Amino acid sequence: MPVVVPPPDPAGLPAPAWLLQVLLVFTFILHVLAMNLLVGGTTIMAISLRKGRNSPFHAELARRLSKALPVTMSLTITLGVAPLLFVQVLYGQAFYTASILMAWPWLAVVALVLLAYYGLYLVQFRPDWVGKWVTPIAWVSALFILMVGLLYTHNATLNLAPNKWASLYAMSAAGLHLNWSEPTLFPRYLHFIVAAFAVAGLGIALLGVQAKKAQNAWGQEAVAYGSRWFIGATLLQLAVGLWFLFSLPGNLMQNFIGGNVVHTVVLWAGVVLAVVALLLVNRSVPAAVALTVLAVALMAVTRHSLREMYLQPHLDIRTLEVTPQWGMFGIFAVLLVAGLAVVGWMVWQFYKSGQPQKAAVE
Amino acid sequence: MEYPFWDVPLLGGGMLIGIIAILHVFVSHFAIGAGLFLVLTERKARRENDTALLDYLKRHSTFFILVVLVFGAVSGVGIWWAIGLVHPTATSALIHVFVWAWAIEWVFFLVELLAAFIYYYGWDRLNARTHLAVGWIYFAGAWLSLFMINGILTFMLTTGRWTETGSIVDAFFNPSMLPSLVVRTAVTIALAGLYALITASAVADDALRERVVKYASKWVLVGMTIIPIGGIWYISRIPDQAREISMGGAPVVTLFAAASVIFSAFVFLATLIGPFLFPKRFHVTFAFVIVALGLVTTGVTEWVREAVRKPYIIYDYMYSNAIRTEEVQNLWETGVLGTAKWALLTPDEQSDPLKMGEKVFRFHCQSCHTVNGFNGIKFAVKGWQKDFLDVQIQNLNQLKGYMPPFLGTDEERHALVEWLYSLNNPPQQTAVRR
Repeated sequence: MPVVVPPPDPAGLPAPAWLLQVLLVFTFILHVLAMNLLVGGTTIMAISLRKGRNSPFHAELARRLSKALPVTMSLTITLGVAPLLFVQVLYGQAFYTASILMAWPWLAVVALVLLAYYGLYLVQFRPDWVGKWVTPIAWVSALFILMVGLLYTHNATLNLAPNKWASLYAMSAAGLHLNWSEPTLFPRYLHFIVAAFAVAGLGIALLGVQAKKAQNAWGQEAVAYGSRWFIGATLLQLAVGLWFLFSLPGNLMQNFIGGNVVHTVVLWAGVVLAVVALLLVNRSVPAAVALTVLAVALMAVTRHSLREMYLQPHLDIRTLEVTPQWGMFGIFAVLLVAGLAVVGWMVWQFYKSGQPQKAAVE
Repeated sequence: MEYPFWDVPLLGGGMLIGIIAILHVFVSHFAIGAGLFLVLTERKARRENDTALLDYLKRHSTFFILVVLVFGAVSGVGIWWAIGLVHPTATSALIHVFVWAWAIEWVFFLVELLAAFIYYYGWDRLNARTHLAVGWIYFAGAWLSLFMINGILTFMLTTGRWTETGSIVDAFFNPSMLPSLVVRTAVTIALAGLYALITASAVADDALRERVVKYASKWVLVGMTIIPIGGIWYISRIPDQAREISMGGAPVVTLFAAASVIFSAFVFLATLIGPFLFPKRFHVTFAFVIVALGLVTTGVTEWVREAVRKPYIIYDYMYSNAIRTEEVQNLWETGVLGTAKWALLTPDEQSDPLKMGEKVFRFHCQSCHTVNGFNGIKFAVKGWQKDFLDVQIQNLNQLKGYMPPFLGTDEERHALVEWLYSLNNPPQQTAVRR
């Protein structure tokens, strides 16, 4: 079967490829951080809802998570829009093709997200008729979100495999393919999911730090509990990460174990940062958060480099024509700064308004 | 043609987009109007020290976030998902021409989203002034987000000077952009009132219910009055051919265009006679009837707006079947299957006209037609003989102005004729022999 790759869009890139890559990776980092909190947080909330029947700590954790998760869901979706936009600009040839091959499962992502989102609101608002179904509903939401993650891994790995496209399409045009035969599928998926539990654990620890400031005894326990998730997941990640690394095609893996100095340094610096965060979390949660965010950023860069390695033989973004729209980019940049300032003002107002009340209550 | 074609049986990809898009439009326009409804009503309630009205607004805003932030946001992403799967080439074109416009829209949406959350969770936390300010920020973000999408959407029908200049400014500020913005803004106002009728009719206190029902009905009437004015302006700005299609050129489209006008009138009259004149007797069932009428109106109107763009998906630039107008000359020479690499024609298929015809159909026709479902070709060609099929196909764009020309080679055309003919006249003998 021949390798068929769609031609690049004749409109060309609206900015140099490097700028679009920077925006892609940067917005992806924001998306993935929110996604981690959502994926790990929803599952942990489901666990705590069950445990909360006997434990006031878990009941309170579930309550706090139920208030935070719908907003987290919303942020995950919205922050995902930007990288998806830039991925379509740079890698549309791969993205549309892979998505069409798995069209129905890919479209199911939208339905699963919608249902999971409503599930989260049911858990938060808990109308009377929900009653004792609240824990099962939370589990369904968690399960759907985990399924969405798996579908994303199918899509991402199919994106990277142009040599599979034609033979899959020749088999069927019904859009029902998945990428089960891909050796990196499970290690890649687990790599992301385990990270999600680590980051969500840190998020809980951070909630605990906040609560401690307000003289809340719950905070102490939350810091300890969240840190345990972080430590456990990160230790497990050392194994999962290695599994993922060794599941890569040999010539690509070589780049990360000395074959290419830059790629090797970026990857292992990320690993080192995660390990340092692990050792530090019991002393300072904020320090662990900072290091982890940095580690996630480096891993996102590595993920991007890996995509480039996979795709370069088939579609090389450096060869794409560039017809820059600097004026429009300028407007975007100015509005982005202004928009973030407005958001900052609103969040600050909201935060400020909650402070004295909280202190008075507790 | 550059991408693999996703075969959606019976429904067809276009219909799939339509279903998601219509639901999204119905919610997203409400999302914007509701922003204005919330801030203006909150301001009124606070000025008049009307705590009952404020309580109603708080409950209305719960309904608002559950509809808007969940269904509105997710279905919007859903459209993007669907168009990428069904029309990848056109989606790629819109993404490439408008990257920064999309990116700007994303900024507005981000502001809108966070403002919505802070407005909702801030009812009992923020002071009145700040709360209202956040409400205004929400509305501004939401409307600006419409402003951006509207520019891109109208571009697809009225590409204007862009086809010559290639300038993003010409593409965005295209001939139908402003009138469409007026219509859509009016729709947001009408829908804000329409949805408010639902929550208003559920208010327990009789006096308050009557007051809010009447108030909400005025929003519907104002919106529905502006829509036809903007609508006429809009129709005056679209291409001649698009206007002709909706006024007799294509019977089904004309029928739907008429339905759009009639159902709009229904919404107006039902609101006038119901909640506006008799707010006391207004019932939640009636609210749902008007909302259902509104959904039908939205559905048929958006459907017509899409249909009149034929034979293009991006006017004068790309046909509905993803062939760029500038590629026509090439296609005459290389043919459909020579261009569509995803046809992946095997030697066996190459020698069998029926199989070849089916592939020609897939890459040339199936963007709009299913085989035996929506706009099914099997029914369209029933009773047609081979020579009649051949004449029709050769003169598609002349005989049916809303169809692109057939661009295959003679061999491909003959194969397509054979295959189309076989749909209603199955070649039984050969089938048995095999």
